[in-house]
Amino acid sequence: MSVLKDIAGPLAAMVAVALAVALTTSNFLTPGNLSNLALQVSIVAIVAIGSTVVIFTGGIDLSPGSAIALMTMVFAVAIKSLALPLALAIVVVLLLGLLLGAVNGVLTAYLRIPSFITTLAALSAFRGLAFMFNNGSPIFQLSPDLEALFYGRLGGVPLPLFYVVALYAAAFYWLRWTASGRAVYAVGGNPSAARLSGIDVRRIQFLAFLVAGVAAALGAVLMAARLNSGSPNYGVGLELSAIAAAVIGGASLAGGRGNILNTAIGAMTIVIVQNGLNLNAVPTSFQNVITGAIIVLAVGIDMWRAELARLLGGLAGRPRPGSSPPRSPRQGT
Amino acid sequence: MSERRPVWSLRGVTKRFPGVVANDRVSLDLFPGEIHGLMGENGCGKSTLIKTLSGAHQPDAGEILREGRPVVLTDPIAAREAGVSTVFQEFSLVPTLSVAENIHLGRLPRRGRRVDWAAMRARAAALLAEMGLDIDPDRTVASLSVAEQQMVEIAKALGAEASLLILDEPTTALGLDEIARLHGLIRRLKARGTAILYISHRLDEVVDLVDVVTVLKEGRVVSTAAESEVDIGYIVRAMVGDVGDHYPKQRNAGAEVVLTVEGLSTRDRLSGVSFEVRRGEVFGLGGVLGSGRTEVARALFGVDPRSGGRIVWRGREVAFRSPKQAIAAGFAYVPENRKFDGLFFNFAGFPNITASRLDRLGPPYAMSLAAEREAGRGLVRDLDISPAAETREVGKLSGGNQQKIVIARWLFAGADLFILDEPTQGIDISAKIAVYRLVNRITAEGKSVILISSDHDELIAMSDRIGIMSHGRLVRVGEAGELGKIDFVRASAGAGPAAREALPT
Repeated sequence: MSVLKDIAGPLAAMVAVALAVALTTSNFLTPGNLSNLALQVSIVAIVAIGSTVVIFTGGIDLSPGSAIALMTMVFAVAIKSLALPLALAIVVVLLLGLLLGAVNGVLTAYLRIPSFITTLAALSAFRGLAFMFNNGSPIFQLSPDLEALFYGRLGGVPLPLFYVVALYAAAFYWLRWTASGRAVYAVGGNPSAARLSGIDVRRIQFLAFLVAGVAAALGAVLMAARLNSGSPNYGVGLELSAIAAAVIGGASLAGGRGNILNTAIGAMTIVIVQNGLNLNAVPTSFQNVITGAIIVLAVGIDMWRAELARLLGGLAGRPRPGSSPPRSPRQGT
Repeated sequence: MSERRPVWSLRGVTKRFPGVVANDRVSLDLFPGEIHGLMGENGCGKSTLIKTLSGAHQPDAGEILREGRPVVLTDPIAAREAGVSTVFQEFSLVPTLSVAENIHLGRLPRRGRRVDWAAMRARAAALLAEMGLDIDPDRTVASLSVAEQQMVEIAKALGAEASLLILDEPTTALGLDEIARLHGLIRRLKARGTAILYISHRLDEVVDLVDVVTVLKEGRVVSTAAESEVDIGYIVRAMVGDVGDHYPKQRNAGAEVVLTVEGLSTRDRLSGVSFEVRRGEVFGLGGVLGSGRTEVARALFGVDPRSGGRIVWRGREVAFRSPKQAIAAGFAYVPENRKFDGLFFNFAGFPNITASRLDRLGPPYAMSLAAEREAGRGLVRDLDISPAAETREVGKLSGGNQQKIVIARWLFAGADLFILDEPTQGIDISAKIAVYRLVNRITAEGKSVILISSDHDELIAMSDRIGIMSHGRLVRVGEAGELGKIDFVRASAGAGPAAREALPT
């Protein structure tokens, strides 16, 4: 029940956006376009799981875009130069993701540097490291088996859709039915109260960055598979799309509030809008402006909820706007 | 009486909100140089009345008179200009700015287009001196003690010439010393001829301070200033009806010592604190704010590291390095400030209740939300917490309900030693009595309580034995019945006036 209530708002917004696009274009609802959408959303949606978990703990992660560039390069070198088998190379990338997440996590949780700063530093440093491989040039033609990971289908459905569903199901389960998942929200809501309730606050913050690191690593493998290459220029701005997905999905940047499923919906919303603008031949520059406007609108609607409700209530002849509730929260203390 | 004229009066003020009449024909007179107590339970309409007087609400009926003439206070700015200054419970100071800047915030003196810093400083200094406050106007507010901040708040309110000062629970965060200083200031303002409307839940200090009392209940005046007696028993009866004993103390202390604290020290705050707590006993810890009471709790609970001493719990020496270990051993800590350290405002009631022992909801990788709901409902019913706690975030519940939820967390945890730090601060009388009953229930089960409180009546009434802290030392331990208020003052002052300067701010 409460899950449906949680996701109702963002889901309704996404459906509204999809309807608008379907009505203004002729080929939005074609199977080809829809599977194209699934491919487009998969990478940002997976990366956004990590960004959202970090946001739930009250932090922010600005580094996944750069981390992905670095990991695609390491992935490429592992396959091409070290001649590792594909499966082993993927394991290497996942371990690297853990390591990069651990760097952010140690600096933030144990050395107490605010996550905005540590991950801003990582945003710069990881990209710099990515350029140190192969003289800063992309590496192409990694493996003939690689593209299947991204373009493969099962029963006609693109594989990345299965990854997204599986990972969100796992994240949802973790956050809802496990003690450490609950602790993520507790730490984000009130770290001091969490500590006095016996929760190891630093361990949970660290854990969130590990999750973010693994999510970025999975994103890196898909990114490399998509173009069968590694490049230090991959993932520019991806961290912001991931944060936008979380925020459009209603995650509070103050921490402690939000539902991970809404991040997937938020990512879908962004991609549908971009797709609609593409199909209507709107130039990319203008698309970026619109994406910005949507972020403001999505958060705005959340912030103005009380006013909007009053406005709607006023139209229906309910109490006038400006009359305040009988018991203010202050009075309750 | 007859020749005195009230400076402000309310006549039949009524304020309705959808579904409630928050103020129902309320009348009262505020005289210059008189401290008027406004009492009543949460939700009785005090806040609405203050907001009406300070221009935030407009009355639906009735009128506000200034010196006998009706006035309309259209908004808070108009009210302030008419001479009503209000100090709300929540501070409105900017911590990073200086005292002088805060006092003049929003109306900085100017010369031409520039801020006249010299004039601002001089005016602030004059105002502080006039109020008898020894506070440097150049200090940043963040560097002041809570009490000093409260006084700056009042200075800020008085910056405009005020004929009426409204104080809403000004002492919630203050210790005995600081309350005394604040009362001194209020009395000086009274001598200056300011009318003062004073709201507080701390009956003992109200009775010490105010000249007359008006009691509100369910939006109505149930006892006017003329008929009220300034007496705790009278006020409680008027506010809540006959509740039986205000302090329903049960004595459940056994002989068996469960906790022995020997020479407990921390690096910068505590030195050589020793005491014992028995099974079923309430051991009170008194002393002024900053005397080390809270530090004892934190050191026991594994929050702050110890530098020396031993703690023996049920016959075994323990050395907690984190609250987690303390919780596992059966300790519970209800912190002084439930807003900052106690509650998760992003959660409804149940996750708040289960937070410290999620392992009781099944394996950590498969918690049972049904078990959580069941346990939560049971405690909500048992402790008479508002059923809204199931669905609403705790920020939307009253202070009393919030405090009960924090205590419920430790009942759920099945703790054996409850450290309650100011458990009744800022909650109304019915909720306080409910907390006292909970203390009885806990001790009746053979569990022990360490009760920390600044309210001496409460401490003396609800404890079996009391230790008094002063400057990080336990200076006196005695049976609760043998200690009077004077012992607290003496014990606290024992370290001499010089040591007062060393009090942390």
